[in-house]
Amino acid sequence: MTAAPAVEIRHLVKEFRTSFRREPLRAVDDVSITIQPGEIYGLIGPNGSGKSTTMKALLGLIAPTSGHCAIFGKDSLKVDSRDDVGFLPENPYFYKHLTGAETLRFYGKLCGLSGKTLRDRVDELLALVDLEAARDRRIGGYSKGMLQRIGLAQALVQEPRLVILDEPTAGVDPIGSRQIRDLILKLGERGITVFLCSHLLEQVQEVCDRVGIIFHGKLVKEGSLEDLIAIEDQTEIILRDASAELLAEIEMLAARHGARWLRAGKPRTTLERLFLRETLGDDR
Amino acid sequence: MTAAPSKRPPFLRARRIGEIALHAFTQLVRMKVFYFLVVFAAILLASNLIELPQHAGPESVGAGILRSIKSWSLGTMTLFSVVLGITATALLLPKDVEDRTLYTILAKPVPRLDYLTGKLLGVLLLIFLSLALMDGLMTATLQWRTTMALDQQTQAALAQGWPKEEIEVLRVEILAQGPTWSLQGAVLAVFLRAVVMAAIALLLSTFSTSTLFTVIVSFLIYFIGHFQADALEFARQAGEAGQSTAARTFAGAIGLILPNFQLFNVIDAVIQGTPMQPALLGKLAAISGYYFILYLFSSWFIFAKKEF
Repeated sequence: MTAAPAVEIRHLVKEFRTSFRREPLRAVDDVSITIQPGEIYGLIGPNGSGKSTTMKALLGLIAPTSGHCAIFGKDSLKVDSRDDVGFLPENPYFYKHLTGAETLRFYGKLCGLSGKTLRDRVDELLALVDLEAARDRRIGGYSKGMLQRIGLAQALVQEPRLVILDEPTAGVDPIGSRQIRDLILKLGERGITVFLCSHLLEQVQEVCDRVGIIFHGKLVKEGSLEDLIAIEDQTEIILRDASAELLAEIEMLAARHGARWLRAGKPRTTLERLFLRETLGDDR
Repeated sequence: MTAAPSKRPPFLRARRIGEIALHAFTQLVRMKVFYFLVVFAAILLASNLIELPQHAGPESVGAGILRSIKSWSLGTMTLFSVVLGITATALLLPKDVEDRTLYTILAKPVPRLDYLTGKLLGVLLLIFLSLALMDGLMTATLQWRTTMALDQQTQAALAQGWPKEEIEVLRVEILAQGPTWSLQGAVLAVFLRAVVMAAIALLLSTFSTSTLFTVIVSFLIYFIGHFQADALEFARQAGEAGQSTAARTFAGAIGLILPNFQLFNVIDAVIQGTPMQPALLGKLAAISGYYFILYLFSSWFIFAKKEF
């Protein structure tokens, strides 16, 4: 018997009725996605392409017009499907009167945790998202990056096997964005399935194993990241301390074997990496 | 990481509902609603100075002040509990939707019925505790004023040479206006009325698009509830007179879905010193329980289908 996929979306269609239009608005159009346990899957697409609607349908926050969504084999419209899932919505707001630790305790209790188990879990999560120093500070005083991190912590409170993240770095500065990205990678290392949706392509490229591209509600492309972004008929060689003579020799060798020399030059870092190196000394 | 530690949760799980209720209570407390208690204390102090119009002799002066304290206190309690029951309930749900905190809650294994029940119970807990505090203040003030009135009136009666039996009658009359179990029953009736109103506001807020609409319609229902009995009686009489057989069915149907708030006017009799029968309080509790369950499950019926 094979294990149920972490996420199974089959022929999902979602239409919304609007008061101004007679025709319903089709936000998601026959989308099918399967995510296996342990994968980090990125759903990318422009604003309004249907990413968030797909996620909400998966979480049972909206009912599909047609099609079916399941989490680890459990129907998304049933409450028990949420036992194994954590969700971070886009731009989350939490109860401002609660502190970071109180927020995690509240969500933990909703999931049935209590006593020492809950206390330990709260401590562990605050350490994981690097908010130990702000544990007793009210959420109302948190920065955007801190809010996203406490949001991620609440999504993980019941130790779910699947985490759904909707634009996890929206509006977060590069340092905060890097922290969240590192957290996602950590989740992957722990074997947690991550379903991430974003329109920040570089970020998705850095963390995801597989990617789906959604546009106008349709899934237009899907596959492993390596397969999707590799240019099959080109090869990249990166050398350190190569002289001009060596490059000329390689170019001639390539020509002798019928290969076309396209370009040679210095590889460039990204502006984000430069920023992180200059501000935090982070040279990854 | 290991799998989720919790077993599959059933509906109406007490601990989870309790947590949501406690949270809703804290949320409201931090909105500084208890400031209203200061207003209540001021009204209570003022009621010591205001005497209700009375046509009896000077021996009734003490009882008049006691009635004034009860009247103002119970009136303020009614106002506070109904306003808070409606506005707080009408506010909590849309606020969670607007702030998207609802997404994070419903994305957990929390049945929507548990969420609604918890929110409603949180509001009711706040009203109950506020009423208990107000009741404590009122009872203490009444106790103090009753003792004062008893001393003054007994001394005056003795000075005028009243017979012992008449002084005893006077004592009983004054004590009946003081803190009694019937008065506690009246406070409970105030609470029960707020329970029904909060449940109505919850039902409205599940399909209303604005808090203002919920508040206005809830108050409208509150006022209709006070005239409902008269309207139904008229319809019943029309039915009995053979003018309309449908009128009686209509009257019965309306009574099933809309509460008759005139039933709660037993409070007025208690202010006048008439004892409240436990059976009457039991009837009020049963009626309130019926409407609470009716409106809560109707809310769930709508909320379960709602998309966010």
